[in-house]
Order: sequence, then C-alpha cells, then structure tokens
Amino acid sequence: MRVSGQVRVGGQVRVGGQVRVARELLLPAGRALPWRSPAAGAGLGLLILAVPRLTDTEPAPWLALVLLRCAILAHAVGLAFLMDDPARHTTATVPTRRALRTAVRLALITPVTALWWTAALLLVPSHIRPPTGDLTLEAAAVCVLALAAGAAAVRLTDAPAPGVSVAAALLFTAVVAPLLLPDQWALFVPPGDQRWGVAHERWAGVLAGAVVLWGICLPEPLRRGPGALRLRSPCGTSDPSRT
Amino acid sequence: MTAVLDETPVATHGTGRRSSWSAALALALFEARRLLLSLPVLLAFAVYVAWIVWQTPDFEDGYPALQDADRAGQSTLLLVGLAVLVCVNQAVLRAKRRDTERHFAVLVLPGPWRTGAHALSLVPVVVLTAVCTLAQFGWSALRSGAVGSGSPGELLVGPLTVLLFGALGVLLARLVASPIAAPLITVVLILMFFVAGGFPAGDGERGLRWLTPVVTEASSQTLPASLLDRPAAWHALYLAGLALTLALLAVLAGGGRGWMLTAATAGAVALAVTGGVLQCAPVGADTRAARERASVSPEKLQTCVRHGSSTYCAFPDWTARTDSWADVVHDVQSSAGGTARTQPLLVRQRIDARYGLTADAAIEPSSTPHQVTVGTAWGGNRVPEFSAAVAAVLVAGDEKAAGSLCDGRMVTVMWLALNRLPHPMTSLRNVRLDDSVTGSAIVLSPTNPMSMTAGQTDVVRELLGRPAGEITPRVRAHWAELTAPKVTTAHVAELLGVAAPKAADKCE
Repeated sequence: MRVSGQVRVGGQVRVGGQVRVARELLLPAGRALPWRSPAAGAGLGLLILAVPRLTDTEPAPWLALVLLRCAILAHAVGLAFLMDDPARHTTATVPTRRALRTAVRLALITPVTALWWTAALLLVPSHIRPPTGDLTLEAAAVCVLALAAGAAAVRLTDAPAPGVSVAAALLFTAVVAPLLLPDQWALFVPPGDQRWGVAHERWAGVLAGAVVLWGICLPEPLRRGPGALRLRSPCGTSDPSRT
Repeated sequence: MTAVLDETPVATHGTGRRSSWSAALALALFEARRLLLSLPVLLAFAVYVAWIVWQTPDFEDGYPALQDADRAGQSTLLLVGLAVLVCVNQAVLRAKRRDTERHFAVLVLPGPWRTGAHALSLVPVVVLTAVCTLAQFGWSALRSGAVGSGSPGELLVGPLTVLLFGALGVLLARLVASPIAAPLITVVLILMFFVAGGFPAGDGERGLRWLTPVVTEASSQTLPASLLDRPAAWHALYLAGLALTLALLAVLAGGGRGWMLTAATAGAVALAVTGGVLQCAPVGADTRAARERASVSPEKLQTCVRHGSSTYCAFPDWTARTDSWADVVHDVQSSAGGTARTQPLLVRQRIDARYGLTADAAIEPSSTPHQVTVGTAWGGNRVPEFSAAVAAVLVAGDEKAAGSLCDGRMVTVMWLALNRLPHPMTSLRNVRLDDSVTGSAIVLSPTNPMSMTAGQTDVVRELLGRPAGEITPRVRAHWAELTAPKVTTAHVAELLGVAAPKAADKCE
C-alpha cells in the first residue's frame, strides 16, 4: 500500500514537473528547432499554389487538387526534417524524456502548420477548391506520417539527422503509391469520383496508423542492439585506453 | 618494435594533373558503388525491373510494334532518375554533413575535381539503366510477333534522363548546401510530370512540350515508324547537352576554373540549344504529306500478299503478320456456307495518321465490296474484332453495310466470327464494349462498331455453348435464309435449332 501511494505521489510530482519542464523547454526548443527545412517546404508549397494566382490563370478542379496535394507533399518533406536532433547522443541520458521533448517540438510546429494550411486553402479559389474537410484529413495524414517516419528513423537508427532519408522515403512512397496501389485501396482519387468517400475513410486509417506508429517510436530505446548507438565522444576520449 | 625498410622507397609522385585524374577516378568508382547500393536507387531499380518483367510479355498484347516498344519504359525511368537525383545530391553533401570538408582540403583532390568525380560516378548507374532499357526492348524485339523498328534516339532518352537528373543533383548540391534542396526540387519535378501529363498535347505535336525530359503521346495507336516523326535523335542530343551543361556548371560552381572548362561548358550549352531548337521545330511538310498519303491512299505504299484465294495488303513493316490474318479469315470462311466459303476477300491494313500521335482517329468503314479493314495492332481483343469484321463483310457484303446490320444476320455474323476461336465465350465478352455476355451491347471492329440486341446475344450465347459440329451443317444448309436481309432473330434461332428470343429485334 505504501509503495503504491509513494508511486502515485511520485507520479503527480513527475507530471507536475514535466509540465514545468515543458514550459521551460518551450523557448530553447523554439530556438533550437530546425526551422529552415519546414519553412522551405511550407514556402515551396505556398509558391506552388500561388503560381496560378500570380499568372492569373484559373486551374481546372483536378489541377487544383494536384497542386494542393503537391503543396502538402512539399510541406511534409519539410516536416520530415523536424525530428532531426544533432544533439541526440548527448541528450539520450538526460532526465527529460525524448517523448516530452518531441511533444514540445510538436506544440511549436502545430500552430504554424495550421496557419500554413489555412493560407494554402485560401490560395485556391473557393469554387474550384476540393472538399476542405477531406483534404485537411489528407494533409494531416501525410504530415503525421512524415513526423512518424522521422521518429521511427530516430528510434531505429543511430543517425542524428535522418531527415534526408525520411524525406527520400516519403517522396518514394508519394511517387510509387499512386502507381501501384490497387483499385480497391485507392487513396489518390480525383474530386467527384464515387470512391472519394471510401478513399477518405482509408485516409483516416492512414492517419490513425501514423499516430500509432509515432506513439510507439516516441520513447528513447532502453537498449540498443549491437552495432547501433554507441556513445562516443568525437575526439575518442571515452574509449578505453589503448596503452 | 622497429620497422626496417629493405629498400629505399622511390619517390612516386608524378605530375599533379595525372595524380588528380587517378584520384578522381578512384573517388568516382567509390561513389558509383555507394550510389548503386543506396536504398532509394536499389528500390527504384527494383520497381523498374519489376515493371519490365510485368509489362513486357503483355506489351501490345504480345504483338509489339518496336517503334512503340522503344519508348515504353521512359516514364518509369523517371522514378530511377528522381532516386539518383536525391542520392547523388546527398553524396556530394556528405562531406559537409559529416564535417570532413577540411580533411579533404589537405588531400590531393581539389574541390572541382571532387565535383567532377561525383558527376562521373553517375556513369555506372546510367550504363545500368541503358542495359535495363536494352533488355526490355530486346525482349520485345525477340518476340515472334514483333514488327517495325526501334529508334536509337528513343532508347537513349531513358538513360540520358537519369544522367540529367543526376547532374541536376550534383549541381544543386554545389549551389545550395542544404539537404532539403533535393527533396523539394523532386516535389517540383513530380508536379511538373503531373501537369505535363495533364496536357499531353497542349501544344500540338512539337513545340515547347519537347523540353521536358520524357515526352509522352496522347494517342495509343501504332503508326508505321516512318510516319511517327518524333525528333528522338535531336531530343537525345538536347538531353545529353543539358546533362553535360549541368555537370560542367556544377564543376564551375565547385570552384573549377580554366579556359578548357569554360570552352567545354560553352560547347555543352551549344549542343543543348541545337538539340532543343531543332526538336521543337514544327512537323515537316513531307511528313504531313506522307501521313496524308498513308491515310487516304494506303494502296500506294502497301505490299500485297496472296494467301489462298484472298489478298492481304499491309504496310511494309507488317507483311509478316499477314499469315495471322489469313488464319482468321480461313477459320471464318470454313464455317460459312454458300459462295461465302470461297469468296475472295481483300484484307487491307488502314490507318488514320493525319493527326500524328496527338489523337486517336476512328477509321471510316470501306464501301468497297469484299474488302475488310485491319488495323496496326494485333493479339488480344484485336483478333475477335477482326474476325467479326471478316464475318460481317461475308454476310453483309461490305463494311459500310455491316455497320447498319440490325436483324437476325447479326447472329450469323457473331457465330461465324467466334466459333472457331480458342475461347469463344471469352472472345464474345472481349469483343463487346461493355465486356458483358448478356443484354444488348456494342460490338467492336477495326472500323465502325456494330450492335447486338439482347435477344441476339441470347441466341449467340446458346449457339456458342453447342458443339460446332452440330451447328455448322445447319448454317451451311440454311446459308441463303440466314444471310437474307430483314431475317428475324427468331427465325434464325429456329433454323439453327435453338430457343427463339421472346423480344423482337429492336436496334438502339
């Protein structure tokens, strides 16, 4: 009994402490976040959508959808770099958990992404804009998938900055999936297609799967297999002496 | 421990340039191996090879025209190109990412040479692409039903596209030292393919659309190689010049200087501009005239061959295929009765090439008696379609009359067309536009389609279910009645000994 009571009290202390730590982390994490990549991705996405506006041509509804999907892809490629953590080898042992540090990053990027998506939607004239709710679901699924893939790369490999590989994997999937997905699993359907509703149920499934994957990959692994993470300082002083 | 040298080491340093060359080659070999073994490139090649294995046996229903087979794999190679772009970009940026630039600074190989080595490392992956392209083309070419001829220019486009994308990756790494640049450029390229795919014939046949690496066509019809007039050789020159320009610009951006480099870059730009301008020139008047001639008066260009009593006229590329046509004609005639059994037919290959490859044009039915039209494709659904056209001409007299068949004769036509084919019911399904074996439907043929009512479909289905030996004598015995104009489907069913349909003939 006493033991469980202690744990509960300890748990409360820990939750309270984590909230405090998260609050204190917000500013430094905001400074340390690799902002340039998401900014570049988001900027390219907006540029893709702005070109028809700037050239004063109105794209057909299908083209508007292609442009929006490419903009989502561009932003997701930027987000793939968000889980990069050059300091991961030195922060693996700090008491603040990786999950909490990632949550702080998420808290910083989510409002920015929401703003970006609103701007992206507003750049498409309303009468050719595909159904907003469904497309928001697609955008959320792709963005969370990018973040989840980034978290998986951090969790499963030793690399401090796996963003490029994650972006490459995301792009590869984006090119291959529309070509190889069989008709009964179609995700990339044009507007007005009768499969639109079913496809977006699948998109919801993709989103749920990505969230689960991300949740699994959040914590720092307790133990690594041989050949994985080996803490070593760059100058080699932590190695055993070679005398 | 003390090491003792047996011999005095000989100074081996040669001239600086020679050691640079060998070091650059060594680096290129190392990078090429890494590039070939990088995961995206391996996966992209896996997808490409899987595509070849999946598509090539069934390409154009197993009777490929080599002027189509040579550009069949170009779009799939864009995937390999994109993978190479990202990977080579990361390879160039690796030294910066791992913070080893300053170590390289003290080695024999200066920056521009290293950039050049990265560009050279693309050669093996391009050669591998060329080998895959040749394998795919060779597989098509070795098939017994292959006709026509491929173009070396078209075969070069795939490998040169991969080279172009790789060179773009190297240049990008030298211009923007950020790992996100290549993935974002890839997004832009994907968008361009989508948008270009949406307007395949936006500018007609030539024009600015040829500036994209892979130029696809809206039409799926096969034309004789001499009428295609795709500027493939100029396009290959344009791609090669552009790839070379980008690679040399990358060396320049990496710090390379010297008059030779500048001259080479100028030469590459000149190549790219020459190819680019010449490929965009409008289609020549002689090509237009040749297309007009082939569409309006094909007899002036065709070679005619006799098989049995019938004559088969084909464009020079297709003369080998007349045997297959003759087999179908023989099968149809051997089931027929009356004079139709020995009626000499003229089977003429016809195309409508007046719009080039920008659009599929329907071929007008011929009003010449006993002339049957055959297209440039064969195998698959084309066989029952041709078979239906032969049967319709035997029954109705000519193609124009066959198109308006609306009575019981349609049953005879379909039975004649299908009963000797290997899988009559499958062929019936395939030859009908909606792939059905019940209800009314449109029946495809090389020229105008015909139509079947629901009752005729029921009778034909019933007839095809019976053994041919039972029906053939009845067809021969009642040939005159079966082919008389205005004969009802019910009467035909009665003559052939199957249940008559309830509904009367009613054409839609």
